[in-house]
Amino acid sequence: MWPSDFDLDEPLTFDVVAATVGAKRTLVARLAKQGLIETVDSGTDEPLLPRRVVVHLRRMQRLRRDLGVNFAGAAVILDLVGRIEQLNRELAEMHRRLK
Amino acid sequence: MAKSKDYYEVLGIKRDAAQDQIKQAYRKLARKFHPDLNPGDKAAEEQFKGLQEAYDVLSEPENRKLYDQYGENWRAVKAGAGAPPPGWEGEPRSRRGTGPRTAGVDFGDFGDFDFSNFGTRGGGGFDIFEEMFGGAAGRGRGRRSGRGADVEAELELSLEEAHRGGRRTLQMEVAEACPTCGGTGLKDGKPCETCGGAGQVIRPKTIEVNIPSGVRDGSTIRLAGQGGIGSNGSEPGDLYLHIHLRPHPVFTVKGDDLEVELPIAPWEAVLGAKVEAPTIDGKVELTVPAGARSGQRLRLRGQGLNKRKGGRGDEYVRLKIVVPKDVNAEERRLYEELSRISGFKPRS
Repeated sequence: MWPSDFDLDEPLTFDVVAATVGAKRTLVARLAKQGLIETVDSGTDEPLLPRRVVVHLRRMQRLRRDLGVNFAGAAVILDLVGRIEQLNRELAEMHRRLK
Repeated sequence: MAKSKDYYEVLGIKRDAAQDQIKQAYRKLARKFHPDLNPGDKAAEEQFKGLQEAYDVLSEPENRKLYDQYGENWRAVKAGAGAPPPGWEGEPRSRRGTGPRTAGVDFGDFGDFDFSNFGTRGGGGFDIFEEMFGGAAGRGRGRRSGRGADVEAELELSLEEAHRGGRRTLQMEVAEACPTCGGTGLKDGKPCETCGGAGQVIRPKTIEVNIPSGVRDGSTIRLAGQGGIGSNGSEPGDLYLHIHLRPHPVFTVKGDDLEVELPIAPWEAVLGAKVEAPTIDGKVELTVPAGARSGQRLRLRGQGLNKRKGGRGDEYVRLKIVVPKDVNAEERRLYEELSRISGFKPRS
């Protein structure tokens, strides 16, 4: 049995996130400053990043690599994909209820 | 893997296409089939893997030249640095996979997708990207050391599993460095027979996953160290399981709360009644108050879903007054009597 994290709320430092995704720390900090990745207040000058940012960053990196979009574009794409997924779920639920 | 192994066909380009046309075709199709744009779509994922494989080969002029000359066996030729071995029929396996694959469960095979290896794809055109990402683990395809790839996959659960938690055994296939050639793809100067020159072998792996109680649609479970193996003793990557809940035939999920529609008879609505209502843990007795309206919601406190950090949501029972399709003579007589004596005027 492997221990599992759940919902990835664990707060991580910029250094840990940067090392995990293979990015420069300055880039992660810049993306956070631009509001393209989620941060959590740490009570100090530098916020922390919830672990789910690792997944988000990897998606942004893949979109950048595979589609040539910049990080701002990737963030918008992921936001829209999330909304479409949510709408699809609601639509499926409505169809189910109408049956 | 794409059905067609002709990489030009996969990308929909002519064999004499220029390098920028290859990139253009790849980008166009990637926009359509990219797994991040089609979450949970296995067909798109397979299409994209085929695209990636084709682009990986054709975007590098040296590899493209070998592919044009030797077709599917180009990799063996490259690994052997010479003519293809006589009778060689082995299908080359992409070297990109370092993550787990799965079998028998609805679970994305992202092994060949290799999420971590961004940043150093061949063929140029990614210089800015390369400049921005530097130094840390999981970067280059060609890296022979570093943390294993993080792997993402989808896991579908029932609402009951999400509510109660439990264990799930997942059958996976994991790509590992070939034990015969040590991952080089070559043995005694010839393509390794064990791995066919790919440098990797696939082995089955079973992992038991603890599904925490209170997981929700869209939650992600991280299994530390269950991703791709690290090379040269480095730590393995993590496995991220993105949870999707199957639609439930009875309950609608609203955050921590559940909603269910409960049909009641007109006389139960008028007179009030004690009826059985379904909950996620079984049936409970519900008191329908006299004069209940259709659409009225009754709350069953604490009968919703388990919350992640303890406690439970509520269940809302939405009453739906239904009328009988067929009535017998006695019922009809009573309804007619009611119609005659009732002072109720619903449209006034």
